[in-house]
Amino acid sequence: MRILIVEDDLEAAEAMARGLTEAGHNCARGADGQEGLTAARDGTYDVMVVDRMMPRMDGIQLVETLRREGDRTPVLFLSALGEVGDRVDGLQAGADDYLVKPYAFPELIARIEALARRRDTGSVQTLLKVGDLEMDLIARSVHRAGKAVDLQPREFQLLEFLMRHAGQSVTRTMLLEKVWHYHFDPQTNVIDVHISRLRSKIDKGFDRPMLQTVRGAGYRLDA
Amino acid sequence: MRLPRIFRTTPFRLTLLFLALFTAAASLFLAYIYIATAGEATRRTDQDIRREMRSLVDVYDRAGVDAINRSLIERTSSEKPFLYLLVGKDGRRVSGSIEQSPVESFTGKPAWATFQVTDVDPQGRAVKHPARGLQEKLSGGEILFVGADAGEDEAYVAQIVHALQAAGLLVILLGLGGGILVSRNVSRSMVSLIDVVERVRNGETGVRAHVRGARDEFDELAQGVNDMLDRLERSMAGHKHAGDAIAHDLRSPLTRLRARLEAAYIDVEAGKGNAEEALVQALEDTDGVLKTFGAVLSIARLQAAGQAPSPVIFDPAELAADISELYEPFCEEKDLEYAAEITRDLSIRGNREFLAQALANLLDNAVKYTPAGGAIMLRVRRRSSGEVEFSVTDTGPGVPDEDRERVIQRFVRLENSRNEPGAGLGLSLVAAVAEAHGGRLELSEGPGKVGEMGPGLRVAFILPRP
Repeated sequence: MRILIVEDDLEAAEAMARGLTEAGHNCARGADGQEGLTAARDGTYDVMVVDRMMPRMDGIQLVETLRREGDRTPVLFLSALGEVGDRVDGLQAGADDYLVKPYAFPELIARIEALARRRDTGSVQTLLKVGDLEMDLIARSVHRAGKAVDLQPREFQLLEFLMRHAGQSVTRTMLLEKVWHYHFDPQTNVIDVHISRLRSKIDKGFDRPMLQTVRGAGYRLDA
Repeated sequence: MRLPRIFRTTPFRLTLLFLALFTAAASLFLAYIYIATAGEATRRTDQDIRREMRSLVDVYDRAGVDAINRSLIERTSSEKPFLYLLVGKDGRRVSGSIEQSPVESFTGKPAWATFQVTDVDPQGRAVKHPARGLQEKLSGGEILFVGADAGEDEAYVAQIVHALQAAGLLVILLGLGGGILVSRNVSRSMVSLIDVVERVRNGETGVRAHVRGARDEFDELAQGVNDMLDRLERSMAGHKHAGDAIAHDLRSPLTRLRARLEAAYIDVEAGKGNAEEALVQALEDTDGVLKTFGAVLSIARLQAAGQAPSPVIFDPAELAADISELYEPFCEEKDLEYAAEITRDLSIRGNREFLAQALANLLDNAVKYTPAGGAIMLRVRRRSSGEVEFSVTDTGPGVPDEDRERVIQRFVRLENSRNEPGAGLGLSLVAAVAEAHGGRLELSEGPGKVGEMGPGLRVAFILPRP
């Protein structure tokens, strides 16, 4: 995956690029908003990671300009500003996701991969399929190996998110944000219980568990 | 040269301004008095002269020049206070009490003249008096002059002018003196306030302004300054406390983190390393530090803003139901009985995100401190006062009465819970959220002691009517 990093902090940008390269991605870098804009116009990228506060042109301006020009490349905003209002500003400018600094690296990778994936599935799907697990979004039903799985509404949404990001790590924070729509970290791991309930419903009675715990990162649904 | 301080004070300047205005008003008033008195005296003299002139002209017109001559001689020898002069057609003096007319270049039209008349006082000395007179040409060609001694009038006018000058001086002196007195009084109060401000600026934050108890605006100002300083000092103490607390609460996990990384490094270097375990632990420690950091930041921002960002009006039942749905399975997992009692169709105004976080923190705390087998209850209701109350009740050990105020303070955790994980910021953040919404937090005892458990804690999060 080709990733454009627009970040004025050299060290942070290099650490990010190193991590992403190790994870098998291809990174390019812009040292400020103006450079980022030029790079984004010249190249094709799958995801852009944009720092919010930069010299010359800030992240908001950069994303607004790109969107005006019709560039729909998914953008992940990085910012030290984490208040609700800041997040809303960022998303309104046209960013697709927002990650508050400091962040855990698995969180960054998980979100970047989620963004790239979102781009792939442009058409509206009504049926999700991961391995022998099937989800019908219209009938709101789930089957594993043909056997019906009975889910609560929230468990359904949780599984839908996991299936849409099958094969990728998703963090607890991402789940809390995307499934429950909360943007804070609870002091206790409330999400774990919901995952274990879901796991007991989709994996119980099957030899191979699909819902994996990824240490230090979160969870992953494998086919 | 710098003027003494008293002359530079605002009250003194104001006094001068008022003094100027007052002087102007007094001048107008005195001018009026002058016109009404001294002017009036002159007018009366002129009138007398005119009347005398008319009566003499009358005599002349009726009986001719000899009659007037007689009349003049008669009048001059009597005690009449007038001065006369009759000049014949040939221009020679006929009769009268003065030798020569004071009117120069007489054209024939009636003319007024002011002049000096020499008199002899009782001691035989020559005295000059100011005098005034009217000269007219008689129908037969003779010229008649009638004058009067204006000395008495002049003295009267001089007296009045003198009195007015004295009065003016008195007004200015009184005003100036009063101004200085008032300014000194006001200045003294100001100077003591300025002194306090100066000392606080130099770091003596404990100094307070003196409130004299006069209940005037200076007392109000002094009280205001004192209240402001109290608040600032409290806030500074709060920041210092927070700083100490951050240092304390961040140092231990950071120290742990460092030790773990060091151990892992040594292991790996010695070639016997499965450093993975240590690294995973290190990551978890880091997450803990970040959570603490995030909470500190949220509290600081809420307190700095003083109000919740982008508030909306919504039904608290939805919020409570959402949070219940998130926490109920978690409680069951911990063998805690969970119940929610939610009144529908209320409305509150606030920031959903922060309110959700506040409820989540209350439930986090309840779960953390309630032993297995206990119970937790979330309740939403309307108080008789119209306020909306969220409350979380648990059956944990509770918080002793005397500590309840303290647990809300930032970072304070009770000694017996020091070993529990958690940043100790939970309730502080909840309190900050409540405050930012114009609400408050109330801690009270839970359901009481049941067997080994209790007495429990009930935390009420109270929001004002929207």
